[in-house]
Amino acid sequence: MTPPPALSAVPTPEAAPAPGDSKINRDLLRVMEGASPGYFLLLGATVLVVTAAALTWIYQIYIGLGVAGYTHPVFWGVYIVTFVFWVGIAHAGTLISAILYLFRAKWRNAINRSAEAMTVMAVMTAGMFLGIHVGRIWKAYFILPYPNQRGLWVNFRSPLEWDTFAISTYATISIVFLYIGLIPDLAIARDRFAGWRRLLYTALALGWQGTSRQWKAHTRSVLHLSGLATPLVLSVHSVVSWDFAMSIVPGWHATIFAPYFVAGAIFSGFAMVLTVMIPVRRIFGLEEYITDYHFENMARFILLTSLIVGYAYVTEYFVAWYSGVEAEQTSFWLRAFGPYWFSTWTMIVCNVVFPQLFWFKRLRTHVPTLFVVSTFVNIGMWFERYVIIITGLSREYDPAVWGVYTPTWAELTILAGSFAFFAMLFLLFLKIFPVIAIAEVKELAIHDRAHGAHGAH
Amino acid sequence: MPEIDRRGFLKLAGASAGAAAAAGCSDHVEKLIPYVVQPEEVTPGVPVWYASTCRECPAGCGVLVKTRESRPIKLEGNPEHPINRGRLCAKGQASVERTYSPDRFHGPVRRNAAGELEPTTWDEAIAEVAAAIRANPARVRVLGGDPGDTASQLIDRFVAATGAGGRVVSIPFAREALRAATEQVFGVASEPIFDLSGADLVIDFGSELFESGLSPIEHQRQWAEARDVATHPDGGLRLVYVGSRLSLTASSSDEWLVAKPGSEGLLALALARAAIEAGAGGGAHAGLLSGPLANAGADAAARATDVPAEAIRRIGAALARARAAVALPPGHAVASRRAVGASAAVLLLNEVIGAVGSRVIVAAPEGAPRQRASYKDLLALIREMQDGQVDVLLVHHMNPVYSIPVSAGFADALAKVKLVVSFASAADETALRAHVVLPDHTALESWGDARPRPGVRSLVQPTLRPLYDTRAFGDALLDVGRAVSPEAAAQLPAGSFRTLLEANWTGTDFRAALKSGGVYQPASHAASGFAASKVEVAEPVFTGDGELTLLAVPHIFLWDGSGAALPVLQEIPDPVARVAWDSWAEVSLATADRLGVEMGDVLRLESSAGAIEVAVLPRGGIRDDVIAVPTGQGHVVGHFASKAGQGLVGVARGGNVFDLLPGDGVDESGGRAFLTERPRVSATGRHRRLPLLQWNDNKRERQLGEAMTLAALAGHGEAHAEHHGPHEMREPYDPAADAADLQYQETFHERGENSAKASPYRWGMSVDLDRCTGCSACIAACYVENNLPRVGEDETRLVRQMAWLRIDRWVGEGEPELKGGRVRAPRSREQLGDTDIRNAPLLCQHCGAAPCEPVCPVIATYHNEEGLNAMIYNRCIGTRYCANNCPYKVRRFNYWDHQLTKWPAPMELMLNPDVTVRGQGVMEKCTFCVQRIQAARQDAKNAGMLIPDGAVKTACQQACPSAVYTFGNLRDPDSQVSKASAAPQRGYHALHMLNTRPAVTYLAKVLRGKVEGSPS
Repeated sequence: MTPPPALSAVPTPEAAPAPGDSKINRDLLRVMEGASPGYFLLLGATVLVVTAAALTWIYQIYIGLGVAGYTHPVFWGVYIVTFVFWVGIAHAGTLISAILYLFRAKWRNAINRSAEAMTVMAVMTAGMFLGIHVGRIWKAYFILPYPNQRGLWVNFRSPLEWDTFAISTYATISIVFLYIGLIPDLAIARDRFAGWRRLLYTALALGWQGTSRQWKAHTRSVLHLSGLATPLVLSVHSVVSWDFAMSIVPGWHATIFAPYFVAGAIFSGFAMVLTVMIPVRRIFGLEEYITDYHFENMARFILLTSLIVGYAYVTEYFVAWYSGVEAEQTSFWLRAFGPYWFSTWTMIVCNVVFPQLFWFKRLRTHVPTLFVVSTFVNIGMWFERYVIIITGLSREYDPAVWGVYTPTWAELTILAGSFAFFAMLFLLFLKIFPVIAIAEVKELAIHDRAHGAHGAH
Repeated sequence: MPEIDRRGFLKLAGASAGAAAAAGCSDHVEKLIPYVVQPEEVTPGVPVWYASTCRECPAGCGVLVKTRESRPIKLEGNPEHPINRGRLCAKGQASVERTYSPDRFHGPVRRNAAGELEPTTWDEAIAEVAAAIRANPARVRVLGGDPGDTASQLIDRFVAATGAGGRVVSIPFAREALRAATEQVFGVASEPIFDLSGADLVIDFGSELFESGLSPIEHQRQWAEARDVATHPDGGLRLVYVGSRLSLTASSSDEWLVAKPGSEGLLALALARAAIEAGAGGGAHAGLLSGPLANAGADAAARATDVPAEAIRRIGAALARARAAVALPPGHAVASRRAVGASAAVLLLNEVIGAVGSRVIVAAPEGAPRQRASYKDLLALIREMQDGQVDVLLVHHMNPVYSIPVSAGFADALAKVKLVVSFASAADETALRAHVVLPDHTALESWGDARPRPGVRSLVQPTLRPLYDTRAFGDALLDVGRAVSPEAAAQLPAGSFRTLLEANWTGTDFRAALKSGGVYQPASHAASGFAASKVEVAEPVFTGDGELTLLAVPHIFLWDGSGAALPVLQEIPDPVARVAWDSWAEVSLATADRLGVEMGDVLRLESSAGAIEVAVLPRGGIRDDVIAVPTGQGHVVGHFASKAGQGLVGVARGGNVFDLLPGDGVDESGGRAFLTERPRVSATGRHRRLPLLQWNDNKRERQLGEAMTLAALAGHGEAHAEHHGPHEMREPYDPAADAADLQYQETFHERGENSAKASPYRWGMSVDLDRCTGCSACIAACYVENNLPRVGEDETRLVRQMAWLRIDRWVGEGEPELKGGRVRAPRSREQLGDTDIRNAPLLCQHCGAAPCEPVCPVIATYHNEEGLNAMIYNRCIGTRYCANNCPYKVRRFNYWDHQLTKWPAPMELMLNPDVTVRGQGVMEKCTFCVQRIQAARQDAKNAGMLIPDGAVKTACQQACPSAVYTFGNLRDPDSQVSKASAAPQRGYHALHMLNTRPAVTYLAKVLRGKVEGSPS
């Protein structure tokens, strides 16, 4: 991997103004200041869609899940598809923060904050879909194992129970990770802002003074959290994939699912980071901090995971054929040529064909191409889950009850609402928290200056 | 009173506080109010049974009405009744809904000046009717169906007493042709009784034995018993079906002769000739060969009927050789204008093969002479009405506006009658056009009786206090008659209708009859003569210049349209077409291609009499020159019968095929003819998605509805491999291997306290596919027993039905072909003449290693120590993972709060209190009728013993006319189910390759092959 370019904008210590007012501070905190009408327009639009989705959800709880397009035998639909999609999106954050931190991949510094924030938001969005999906949300707490006088207990053999643990653990770690990383930056913001913001950041910064003792503790905790979070990157989506792999549904019951889903999750996570950060960089003028170099490295990851995902597709079909199980063969045949052929081919083209453009450095560094391809990857990954879940269920063992599922307005509204919810949270985050890790960028800048941009370690 | 110590007091206080708190947690708080004065015969929680008679069709089966706390909640067959012997069909099972129908009148209504029906009082309504009759009695007519024996006599007395102008009996599906033919051939005007018990060859000339036949339950039972492979190693009874369409009966036949519709008579004569030529009767009938059979040579008949001459000769020889053969007469769908001749020809065939007197019993009609349901008389009445000669028309037990063809002009003629009085208990097309409605009780609320056949007298007794301000038809008629004039009152019997009924039953032990449901004696053969010379068979006459012959097929559930008001009958898919809540038109695949239509495209059928539009259902099992439309739909009145029926008057659901029939379609005897039209058929270009519950009849060789040949059953290896397909058949349930189930349960409950006790029970079932016709009586029984939601048309279109038991219908073994495209409905795999149809009832298999159990995160479904896959509705949070993981797809999810929000009052009154009503958002499935197991357990406990074999009968098992299901304890090696499940060759487990270890063992269907002419 090419070494990162030096940050030209980093001022020399001689010229550096008083602490708390460096150019980095100013550049990065400027994002949080003021808000253009365009921002409010965008925020308003997302709030509107979220409201529509929320009302739809309330209506669905009141009248019954029948407003969704479920049919015998397709008992899981767009809600679970979207759940898995958002869990997948949540992967890039931890991967960037934890694994790349452990590997000392310095290029992560510019994007780790936004990726971590996206992780938390995506997990929140995904978690909601579990509630949207179940038939009796008012009893959904039954899934939590806690001592109670009703003598209820949970079934630890159920992949859905594992899911509950995996998602809640992941959410907890992601939030803690994001927060710990934010503390030094919150202190910078505390020193800079006045009014309610000052009160908020004072409270959140936990009295951060930037002493070496605090830095030591901070660095330690980040290291340890990274160590804790690293297995989660692999485990969360493995567990989600077992929702399917542990069943006996043709097209679901496959041992390849865990690595296949993890690769897919990283694939879609990086794509989502690209899709979001390209406009953010452009709008807030952060080209100095988030460079094409960062984008290129993400594109490399996308290319790598695309190949893994493509390999998994091939393996699935091969195993279906090689197994000699007629039900599997039929399921996979109908996946490609049956009533859902459109979703399948969308998935293959978006996830396997388009990312191959990233073999070329010119396209890897060409921002519009990056944006288009990453958007297609997002679409393709949503369809991947649609293909697995819907085609698997619609063509099961008893051909008398084969069925065709079509999503309804309620499901599509809530699907749109999930994207709006994610966007709304991100827009709010942009204005309340530093979207680029100021302290880490500074550290890198100082490091670079001390050792030279291409300095050997 | 025992002393309460401090400890005891605290316990009690704690318990009551806990109970109060728990009560506050439930979703719907309902109060149970105890009786102030407890009725003597009612123990809360214990059902009381009353013997009665089913009034849904003329077969007249005996029923036992189960009442709980004085509400009838289910009907079961009366085991003492000779006709149905404890079994009951879907129509009978559903009839409990008639009492709780939202369509019912709450009291008498009359039409006001504005032309709207408004409530009135009984006194006013009766006075109005009586005054109108008094004005000019000669211009009064009574029109109606079959009200029962005593009520029918009462009508005659009413007509005589009031001087009314006459009475017309009209039953849409009457058997006038058969009665006339019997009179012609045997000199006795009565419907012969056809007895299939012990028969070895049955030829059904379209009577539709198992659906709209003469006595479907009785015949299905006799058919199944006569071909039980356990007692008949040769396969027993062979059924040959003659008809143009693969009907339910044809699907269960051994050979299907795809005859031209209307040629049944010719074929019967040809078979008679072939049988005589093969030696039937030992020369006794040689005289016939030069008489009526002179022109009935096999080759000529082959040309006329489209049945190969070889088949005619072969089956003729088989008839001659058969030990006990019997032929059944043509049914309603093939009743042409020459129906009497066709029926007579079949009776002649019966005479030739020696069936008359033993299996065809012609008994003298009993009781009061019953009016014949002559369609000709009805047409005369309509002419009188049109001419303004009728001032008052009393309509009872019939819905003529719906069931008489529009072109007969009944509806228009009705407008010319000054006062139309309806006795309907629920609103229908006729009642809503009446001026006065004097609503009758339903059958479950009233007294009555029936004489379904000579020798059988059956009682109808009330089982609950009438729900509304209704009056029994007999009493209302008496009240009207008495109000007409003192003279009329003097001629009418004193007392109530019940007094009259008891008087009519003098000479019998009435109380004993009430207990056993009636008085039953065997019928004796009365006919001695045989007049073959009068048998005249001619080709049917058709009107219309279309290329397709219209077959108006009596719908197995909706019947003449009376079933359409009952949601269960609408909900259960037609066993052959798999369509619910709609009507359809069946055409062959070639015809569909010719018309350029696909499944669901709307066809316009236009005959000389009228036109209807129905969605098309192309299938392989129908002749190219036939279009078949089921009867029963097309109602515009009724909450369930019509579409968008939020109020009473709605939009027609599907089309009413009666509207295509000519007003003057009568046979030689004046009976109603149905096979008369060749309508023009064209595509409208519109499409309607049919509410289709199964659109794929290709079983892809998967282990779902297995069959084996008779040769394979007898142990001929090659035949086994050849016909059995490439997959293995599972070894039968082995009680020794049950230890594995136990071990499984122990691992499941490894946490000590719950560890499976060595229960003496492992509930299991065997399902004999060789006995299943697909008649769906079991499904109806399950709906009523287990409070299943009736989801309605729109939800059915989304395939969200809640049936715990469904019947998969497969055409042959299928093939695992892979075809692409967006094809929603693959082409039907049926073929003309192919009767390898497998009906496979699928219910929860209560697997020993159930895939649904481990995936539930909240243990809402688990395995209990008796092997039941149990469902805890209260725990379910609705993740639906269990349903995804169930390979049999027998789990159903409550997408709505069906019973709470979608059932109109008073339907909730028929809920079975022993079965939880499931709310929105929970999963449900077959429980093996656990409430019945619990009831039997209580009895056994009281008796201090284990539950004896046979004490638990599941609802499906109880209803099944042909004893497909056997239920019991698999741990008891002597139980019926253990023995049945151990059938070494036929037994298999559905989808055995998944190793789910089901508690349900299927017994494969036996393919007996075509009828053999000469001994093999």
